[in-house]
Amino acid sequence: MSTPQGGGNKRSSSTVRVSGKTDAVNSTKTPDTRRSSASANRSRPPAPQMRVAKQRDWSWIAIIAVAAVLAGGIVGYAIYNNYSSGRSWQSKADSISGILDYRKSDPKLVATRDHQWGPITYTVTPPVAGNHNYNWQRCAGDVYPAQIANEHAVHSMEHGAVWVTYNPATLSADQVAKLSTKVKSVGDYILMSPYPGLKTPISLQAWGFQLPLQSADDKRIDQFIQDLRINASMEPGVDCSSGSYITATGTTPHDLGKGATDSGTTAPDSQPGATPAPSQS
Amino acid sequence: MSSRKRWAVGALVAALLLTAGYFAGLLTPSLKAPGDNSAEAGFARDMSRHHAQAVAMSMIAWQNASTPEVRQLAYSIAVTQQAQIGMMSEWLKDWHLSPTGTKPAMAWMPDGAHELLPDGRMPGMASTDEINKLTEAKGKDVDILYCQLMLRHHLGGIHMVEGVLSETDNSRVRELAESMKNGQQSEIVTLRDLLTSLGAQPLGS
Repeated sequence: MSTPQGGGNKRSSSTVRVSGKTDAVNSTKTPDTRRSSASANRSRPPAPQMRVAKQRDWSWIAIIAVAAVLAGGIVGYAIYNNYSSGRSWQSKADSISGILDYRKSDPKLVATRDHQWGPITYTVTPPVAGNHNYNWQRCAGDVYPAQIANEHAVHSMEHGAVWVTYNPATLSADQVAKLSTKVKSVGDYILMSPYPGLKTPISLQAWGFQLPLQSADDKRIDQFIQDLRINASMEPGVDCSSGSYITATGTTPHDLGKGATDSGTTAPDSQPGATPAPSQS
Repeated sequence: MSSRKRWAVGALVAALLLTAGYFAGLLTPSLKAPGDNSAEAGFARDMSRHHAQAVAMSMIAWQNASTPEVRQLAYSIAVTQQAQIGMMSEWLKDWHLSPTGTKPAMAWMPDGAHELLPDGRMPGMASTDEINKLTEAKGKDVDILYCQLMLRHHLGGIHMVEGVLSETDNSRVRELAESMKNGQQSEIVTLRDLLTSLGAQPLGS
């Protein structure tokens, strides 16, 4: 916008120089009278009037320029700030290279989350979503030494946990130790267990997401945990560390409290702090 | 011409300044919001984890303790602290921060690294062994162990609360932190009384 104004100004400056200094002083002293009566204006010689207008152009342009720069800067920063801080956790997760987002590729799977007893077949390995056992695997930074039941781990992920799995045959002991330290230091809404037969040495899962990895030193591990831990919960507010959880290992689901729900009576007064699981999570 | 132009220019400048003002207003809350490495964010994350363990222990006591007073206190602690976890997680959402930080636990406190127990636990936290013991305990042992663990847990919690109170002037954070401190201090009195009536002692630090 400032370019045409500047052009007009240049043109005028040559004519301006012809008139004397006194005119300029006069005209600046009487801006009100000049503005109030148009006829008086017209009777005056054109040169000083033009000169006044043109001379003021510079300051107007400066004011506009300053206002524009100020507004532009603030608007630009606000937009940038809004973009960078307002990005959703899902879009941040999607930008992790190599991540598999089943929420996009298989929304039906991700929406499947009923409770059932006994073994369940999963289409994704390790599973990232689907029906699951009434009981969840405790996910308060727990590091399990042996394989656990998918049916319980899927329930943990429904609560917002990140499930760290590794292939004990292809991941070295010191890499396992490194992963385990990380899981323990995060401390809650995360669990780790070996997964024999895993295609890559490491695979991270959260509800609807998977990230296959080669090394425990990969920076994407922290990114995955930061973007998806708790955020990916299907039941925000439900915890990992209390209630009818499972801490035992083994790939067969532990149907804790099954008899109780089958017969419709209350759960036995048993461990660990088991409450009868309601039909919906 | 000049008068009309002046109006136009004035209107343009006014519009630009209004736009700038509007966006500056939009921007202000996010500039005032605590950042990723702030004491407020660190407190919200760490205290959520700290609280989660209190809820876990209290749910065990609610179910297995034999003294009605202990069960009642456990119920109250579980409900209060679970609600507070919800409030703190909303802070993080409002501040556009992740529930997971990039720094280790307690790093938001002035002497953060030294606040952690040798095995990395936050102040007052029970070990996995202690949680397992509480889970497996029977009868009066549940009541005693719960009161002992919860007393130590509250003392550690209050220490963290005092840490954030000395660092923040965020009114929302201060309000909740003050109420945690008051609530836990009075529960500590109750826990000590319960231990006495159970004929037991607080744990050594």
